[in-house]
Amino acid sequence: MNGFSLHRAWAIARKEVMHVLRDPFTLALALGLPVMLVTFFGYAIDFEVRDIKVAVADRDNGPAARRLKEIFSASGYFQVLEAADPVGMLDSRRADAALFIEPGFSRDAQGGRPARAQFVLDGSDNSKGAVMMAYLPGIQRAAAARIYGLEPAFAPLSVETRFLFNPELSSRWFMVPGLAVIIIGLLAILLTAMTVAREWENGSMELLLSTPVRPLEIIIGKLAPYGLLVLTGVFFVYLSARLVFGVPFEGSHLLFLLACLLFITAALSQGLFISVAARQQQVAMQVAIISGLLPSMLLSGFIFPVESMPAFFQYFTMILPPRWFMVAARGIFLKGSGLAELAVPLAALAALSLLLLALALKKFKTDLEP
Amino acid sequence: MFSIRTEGLRKQFGAVKALDGVSFDLSAGLLHGLIGSDGAGKTTTLRLLAGLLRPSAGEVLYYRDGKDSSFAEMRPSLAYMPQQASLYPDLSVGEHLEFFRELYRLDAATFTRRSGELLEITRLDKFRERRAGKLSGGMYKKLGLMCALLQSPSVLLLDEPTNGVDPISRREFWELLYALAAKKILIIVSTAYMDEAERCSRVHLLDRGRLLSSGEPREVLKAAGAASFEEIFIKGGGR
Repeated sequence: MNGFSLHRAWAIARKEVMHVLRDPFTLALALGLPVMLVTFFGYAIDFEVRDIKVAVADRDNGPAARRLKEIFSASGYFQVLEAADPVGMLDSRRADAALFIEPGFSRDAQGGRPARAQFVLDGSDNSKGAVMMAYLPGIQRAAAARIYGLEPAFAPLSVETRFLFNPELSSRWFMVPGLAVIIIGLLAILLTAMTVAREWENGSMELLLSTPVRPLEIIIGKLAPYGLLVLTGVFFVYLSARLVFGVPFEGSHLLFLLACLLFITAALSQGLFISVAARQQQVAMQVAIISGLLPSMLLSGFIFPVESMPAFFQYFTMILPPRWFMVAARGIFLKGSGLAELAVPLAALAALSLLLLALALKKFKTDLEP
Repeated sequence: MFSIRTEGLRKQFGAVKALDGVSFDLSAGLLHGLIGSDGAGKTTTLRLLAGLLRPSAGEVLYYRDGKDSSFAEMRPSLAYMPQQASLYPDLSVGEHLEFFRELYRLDAATFTRRSGELLEITRLDKFRERRAGKLSGGMYKKLGLMCALLQSPSVLLLDEPTNGVDPISRREFWELLYALAAKKILIIVSTAYMDEAERCSRVHLLDRGRLLSSGEPREVLKAAGAASFEEIFIKGGGR
């Protein structure tokens, strides 16, 4: 009589579907929010920096100086502003960098001697500064070619860089699959974090516990419909990634589905665990947002590479499902990674799913003891 | 038929003593009333009987046909209706019955017969499509009772089922309970309404976690030398 019954789990699932269908807020949250957030942040978060304002103090006024300025503006990344007081412009944030070309620059260049100019960066904006530093060698090479007439091939050793998988290094291609991971994870955690807590709060859990229904039946009955709902959300996110942002999809759709299912199960189980432990919707909601958003934003490799974190954090990220799904999603979208390449992330996701599910089950109270 | 006995039942929540050594007999086939004002320990007692709380001391003993039994054995035949709203406001009367049918795993024929009977005696058959959140207080309680009765329990625990219900619905509810009691179901109902004590075949008067007296209503009144149950509580309150 009291063994696991798929029948009862199905009854719980059906009841949950009715709740969702009759609650437009949950439905809109699950289906609309992921697409909206991916589109919104997909446009907003862009690591490429263009139109960097460079205040130039040209105290040389010779042909080589003019050419150097042309090279800066022709790169497409810099906007050259003639300025008498470049430092003042940096101070007032009217410029991001300053370029000083001292008298004698053109003379040295014409004489074949090293011509020196000073480039000053605004170090208070770390991320912009790093990007400018990355652009400078290209400017330097172009200057060598156009001012001194040196061909790039002149250099005894030439390294040609070519970026695989994302040849233009479009940060959107990189960002959108990552954003999808964060938003899907947060949504899954949020949706289930409310469900068990709601039953406790409106008193229905007291009645449920007096029936023959078992915790595992409640947990499975609650996971299944929300899993399906989030999966539908993933489908919409996939469409917007492909159609709105033109992100390529190089891998197998089936493998992506498997990875999604594993990640969604892990996230839903995390939400259930919170719900079971909190027993109050408001507490569950707050814990869900903090635990669903912060680790996945900061420790999943979404923005900061896991490899460059201190050793402790590198190990710590291993218990975070988004860290593994991030590797899988980006790999499948951009690199066409297969099962062999993704065996470790997928196995980790499966293990974490089981662990979180077991924790939720263990924490599930079958009585009303405080 | 099941019967239940409690021995020195105590329940403490932190520093609060909810029950302080309660012993009584809940003999089979009778309609028992747990009578007491708010905070007397009625809900705690029912939750202990339903296995939803564990006693801090003392024990609950279960018997089947006069022989020792256990909670596990009784559980499949137990139905419990909590005091607080515990139904789903967005599900209709019919959907509640369907949901509980699946939890109790009733076959289609049994379900059709049982739900038909219950809808008829509760006169909710015209409201099958109405959502629980839109039912009146009395109808809501009847729906709760129907969900509990769907599996034909032999032990029925009802926590203040008539609380906040209008007098006519209250009378109807008691008529339902009499009909059930006639089927020899062990019914334990808690109430704060003193006039309802006289409707029970046995009463157990609880006051601040202690049992004041226990027995047939008339005997209890006689033994206390009181004209009404209120009087017993007023006397007891001076203890």
